[in-house]
Amino acid sequence: MDEQTTLLEQIMAYDFALYDLQLFLNTHPSDTNALRDYKMALEQSENLRRQYQNRYGPLTARYLPNTTCWQWINDPWPWNNKEV
Amino acid sequence: MWLYDKKTQYPIKITKPDPRMAIAILTQYGGPNGELAASLRYLSQRFSMPTKEAKATLNDIGTEELAHLEMIGTMVHQLMDKVPPKELERLHVDTNFVIHGRAVYPSDSNGVPFTAAYIESMEDPIANLNEDLAAEQKARATYEYLLSIADDPDVKDPLRFLREREVVHYQRFGETLRIVQETMNSKKYF
Ligand SMILES: [Fe+2]
Repeated sequence: MDEQTTLLEQIMAYDFALYDLQLFLNTHPSDTNALRDYKMALEQSENLRRQYQNRYGPLTARYLPNTTCWQWINDPWPWNNKEV
Repeated sequence: MWLYDKKTQYPIKITKPDPRMAIAILTQYGGPNGELAASLRYLSQRFSMPTKEAKATLNDIGTEELAHLEMIGTMVHQLMDKVPPKELERLHVDTNFVIHGRAVYPSDSNGVPFTAAYIESMEDPIANLNEDLAAEQKARATYEYLLSIADDPDVKDPLRFLREREVVHYQRFGETLRIVQETMNSKKYF
């Protein structure tokens, strides 16, 4: 697996953990352990996203790389096999 | 995938209930030219789009239509909220009330439930994009009809915003159609 895919799959794992904790916290809003886990996963996810977007371009349109061209539209999209 | 933002795309604050207007607007929730149909149409068609411009356009407009669905649902809710059942009966919207209460259900204004038969998704991107242009124009026409029967400025204002978005989408789909046609032609001849 190449470096880009490895990094992306790490982000996917942290983001999934965040969503799962979000659902748990919706019905357990004062669970301090879940809150602590959410905070840790959020820091990890933000850190990895920063690295990914600097190297490989936007994960959301609200990230603007330091280039003269709009990179948001670039292939591959999530439903494409890598070699588009 | 998606991340939810806790806000509507355009401000909505309706303080005067109007159940008949709610039922009229409901067609843009679950009717043939509504926002749910629009979103599902573009988000399904994007998988077979051949260029990056087309993929991005269908992905992003399909996403925006979900935000419009939320705006329409918000309007229907605020127009119906807490209206007494007897008042609904007097205004002849009691048939909707006895089925759904004052909830927001994806149907058209006549109560016909939403169906995926309102949309198409084909492998042919030209067919899809022509459908999308027609869909945007039909949605715009529907907003014109709604505006022609609305009185409250708090209702007209978001409806005008949504009508303008259909105009912008129509423009972007037209550009996308040209890009896709040019790409397909150059592949055929060179
Ligand atoms: Fe639209």
